[in-house]
Amino acid sequence: MSQTLRNTWFLGLKELRSILRDPMLLMIIVLAFTVIIYSAASSMPESLHKTPIAVIDDDQSQLSMRLVSAFDEPYFLPPEQVSSQVADRIMDEGRFTFIVHIPSGFERDVLRQDMPELQVIVDATRMSQAFTGTGYIQAILQQTLTEFYAEHSLVNGAAIPVELALRSRFNPELNPSWFASMTEVIGQITMLSLILTGAALLREREHGTIEHLLVMPVTPFEIMFAKVWSMVLVVMIAATLSLVFVVQGILAIPIEGSLWLFAGAMFLHLFATTSMGIFMATFARTMPQFGLLLILVVMPMQILSGGMTPYESMPVMIQVLMSAAPTTHFMQAGQAILFRGAEVSMIWPHLLALLVIGLSFFLIALARFRKTLATLV
Amino acid sequence: MAGLGSLILMFVLGYGINMDVNSLTFAVLDRDQTQLSRSYSNSLAGSRYFDEQAPLHSYEEIDRRMRAGDLNLAIEIPADFAKRIARGDTVQIGAWIDGAMPVRAETVQGYVQGIHQHWLLEQAQAHGYAFETPVTIAARFRYNPDVRSMPAMMPAVIPLLLLMFPAILTSLSVVREKELGSILNFYVTPTTRLEFLLGKQVPYIVIGVVNYLLLLVQAEWVFGVPLTGSFWLLTLASVMYIVIATAFGFVVSAFVRSQIAALFATMLATMVPATSFSGMITPVPSLEGVGRWIGEVFPATYEMMIARGVFSKAHGFSELGYTLVPLVIAIPVVLGLGVYLLPKQER
Repeated sequence: MSQTLRNTWFLGLKELRSILRDPMLLMIIVLAFTVIIYSAASSMPESLHKTPIAVIDDDQSQLSMRLVSAFDEPYFLPPEQVSSQVADRIMDEGRFTFIVHIPSGFERDVLRQDMPELQVIVDATRMSQAFTGTGYIQAILQQTLTEFYAEHSLVNGAAIPVELALRSRFNPELNPSWFASMTEVIGQITMLSLILTGAALLREREHGTIEHLLVMPVTPFEIMFAKVWSMVLVVMIAATLSLVFVVQGILAIPIEGSLWLFAGAMFLHLFATTSMGIFMATFARTMPQFGLLLILVVMPMQILSGGMTPYESMPVMIQVLMSAAPTTHFMQAGQAILFRGAEVSMIWPHLLALLVIGLSFFLIALARFRKTLATLV
Repeated sequence: MAGLGSLILMFVLGYGINMDVNSLTFAVLDRDQTQLSRSYSNSLAGSRYFDEQAPLHSYEEIDRRMRAGDLNLAIEIPADFAKRIARGDTVQIGAWIDGAMPVRAETVQGYVQGIHQHWLLEQAQAHGYAFETPVTIAARFRYNPDVRSMPAMMPAVIPLLLLMFPAILTSLSVVREKELGSILNFYVTPTTRLEFLLGKQVPYIVIGVVNYLLLLVQAEWVFGVPLTGSFWLLTLASVMYIVIATAFGFVVSAFVRSQIAALFATMLATMVPATSFSGMITPVPSLEGVGRWIGEVFPATYEMMIARGVFSKAHGFSELGYTLVPLVIAIPVVLGLGVYLLPKQER
């Protein structure tokens, strides 16, 4: 046993030394955890921030002007008046995501209770902005109309005096750079750990140094475990420094929960991803093959784990598929710890899932790795 | 393998990225327990956006369940809600939204406000205070009326895939020779730097174009996303884009010596700008700071505009011809940079 530990220790040191000998690689790691995280987090706008909006006002009544002036900053820029002839063209050009159409005779029809219709034309290719914005626009229009009804005794205004007090918790101003910085850190952690372990293994194969290891009295388990612990260590250090100095320091994003708990979750996550890296490397024969495989695995893991769009809104099939990916659980646990100050008792299902995924990947990868080595000899 | 991989990715990403936020969880702390208070929570539960969870009993429970991430929204209806309304007092309903993920929180805010207004009007009508036929507000989603995620995402995924695969392959192809030593052949023979790169680039351009055609076939015939605009515009732009992507790989390869570093660097340099700064989810004009600047010059932005325009908006050369200009400029710039940075001798 102690021999195994010793071997694993020294083999791991060897891995660390090979990283140190590649200054460019170190530079890129540093860049990834500083400049890239900073720029991704600081350029994230609120999804509705000074959104350009156009109005076709065919009515030109008091009510229509009131509706138009209801749109204001910070969510919307003052609406621009356009004619219905050019509406199609300006939407095609993509200058406005939204066009509100007020039909002629609108005020008259409202007063006569003639069922007039307001139209909100949305450029659906604008994705998040389109959907969030539509909700806001409808609420703004509805509220202005309700006030108008009350003033003209269409509704007894005092009848339903209910206000809605909306408060957002954990990120009161809904500053999007908080979330973006976390997503970016998790993304770098995942990508780096997969590449470092997988590519390090492949390099040994391509250079033939893996045969050197095989003639020495070390087992595949020791070789693999050495790679896992050393790379986990590298990524843990890089990511933790980045959280403390870049996210908390430069970006000044408050972290509500315990960094230790986050580091624990990160450890479990890394155990899973480094094992995945080795697993993937056993399938590839050359580095370009590994690169392709990597894209195939990393892209869905980054994009569908709940960092870009809410996980709960994805199709069920994708949710099932993605629940096997460690990033999904790490993203959920990370959010809960960093922003909502969650404790272990609240997020243990995610931690358990990470552990199970990690262990399974480690064992499967080990089996594959043994087999691959056997074919080499 | 590159072809198969990108087909699988197109499917998974096109199907999985869903902008229409729904299945949001909420629970109610109902201190009133009257018909009126229940009608409020029912109006939320009845919308297609929200799924009601077990009711709440205390503020501590709100705190605990929100921290754990069980609830996206918690509603508090105060005691004597119905009585006070009958008396004509102003009553406040409390709504707490989980702000940890701002995009989701903003959407929840919009939905809750809309449903609240709707409920007010309904109540007014029920009590005969309001007229029968209020104004209807109709939202028309142009270019994707059914708000399906496939047609919205398919055109956005193409630029991503056509950038990453070719760039990684070309950068590895150079760094591989450095690492394995065969680059000596290039150093000792009179091959020029441009010849060396073009020779490497051509096969990957061919692979990229074949890949592009496969993606198009899959989008059109497997997923039924019709190509409504000009096929030739999209093809011309994509070929230029692939040339840029492959040249971009060379630029990255100049900075690194090991394949590991090449892989990581190329992934970072392509994936981050292409997913975050090219208008895939957030439109470029709404970005701020460095991201905005990168988005404006990054070729993926223009390929994305062309792919969306041609797929969803039935555009052709007359509407989108101008977006080719940045691509045309980028080819000599990126390729020239690749040539310039490639040393003829080992340093």
